[in-house]
Amino acid sequence: MIHNSTDVIIKTVARIFIPFIQLYALYVIMHGHYSPGGGFQGGVILGASLILLLITHGERVAMQRISENWITILFSLGVLIYAGIGTLCLFFGGNFLDYGVLAPLLHVSPAAARSLGILGVEIGVGIAVMSVMVSIFYNIARSGPYRNKGTTARRES
Amino acid sequence: MEITLLVQATDECFSVIEKARRHAIDVLNTATLLTSETRSVEERKLQALLKGAVQARASSQQFLSTFLILMAFWCLLSGKFDIFHLSLGCICSLVIAYLSHDLLFANVRVGDARLIIQRFIAYMPWHLYQIAISNVHVAKLVLSPRMPIEPNVFRFKTKLESDMSWMALATSITLTPGTITIDIEDSGEFVVHALDKKLAADLNAGEMEDKIAHIFMESDHIYIQDALDMARVFGAMK
Repeated sequence: MIHNSTDVIIKTVARIFIPFIQLYALYVIMHGHYSPGGGFQGGVILGASLILLLITHGERVAMQRISENWITILFSLGVLIYAGIGTLCLFFGGNFLDYGVLAPLLHVSPAAARSLGILGVEIGVGIAVMSVMVSIFYNIARSGPYRNKGTTARRES
Repeated sequence: MEITLLVQATDECFSVIEKARRHAIDVLNTATLLTSETRSVEERKLQALLKGAVQARASSQQFLSTFLILMAFWCLLSGKFDIFHLSLGCICSLVIAYLSHDLLFANVRVGDARLIIQRFIAYMPWHLYQIAISNVHVAKLVLSPRMPIEPNVFRFKTKLESDMSWMALATSITLTPGTITIDIEDSGEFVVHALDKKLAADLNAGEMEDKIAHIFMESDHIYIQDALDMARVFGAMK
């Protein structure tokens, strides 16, 4: 159980920096195919920003913002986006994750289709990595496995 | 006989009139009560509506300003200004602003944000100068063969009020060589480590605190700002 920090400096600096860290994470994800970075790195930065919120403002604030149920939905969604784009390529007659064949679906040239496909896959990877990181940290912070909403309420009361 | 009948009749008449009067008073009373109740209910509704509107306005302002700041940060990072990347940045900034617009502007006091930013920029050269001065001072202390340092921890109570200005003062103290903020207690008491008596005395003189109070328009400086604003108005009137 992590409580609200009592240090004014840490809380204020974290409060101001968290939005910028999150935007930087999205920048790393979106520019993964032009510059160093990508889904894994951006996802880790995004997860780290939420973990920073949890450490500084306590468990309750972090869980109000993004609950355990949402985290579960998000990491399934991330894997679904990744595998979905890969499988879509199979249906269009290419290999797994062969984005070039998606060109007629997106009405663009094969090269642009590859770029967009990589972007989609990276968004999926980013969401999955972020939510798995946060999920692991929630489990450590609560010192227990995943609980659904009903049992949590009973435990707190 | 007739007289008694007459008296009875008048008595009944009076009692009927009395009853009617009471009834009328009751009706009037309930009517006034009802109107006042409905009025208070309506007033409460109006007040709730107004309060909600003010809150919604504040949160939408927070959302918008967070979005604009994040969009500027995105342009700074990305450096690609075609429509695809700008729209990506727009979507990303919207998502982040939706997620955490209450973080960036959590404890905002009443004050002109533009003025605060102007004054903060004006404060920076002064602070850089202070850093240079104490840099030379610490270098002298450390390089002299006797090494005349007197490390001490001292406390002072600040007059600043918001967490933002506490944070600004604490980081300013830490940035200045030779002094480090160890802790801020809940009552606003700073615990500072200083390398030397002179550095501690410089801090205790409170010039830096005054400047920070000036930036964030706190303590007595808010009145000075009021006077300055009024002076401008009077000048225009003349």
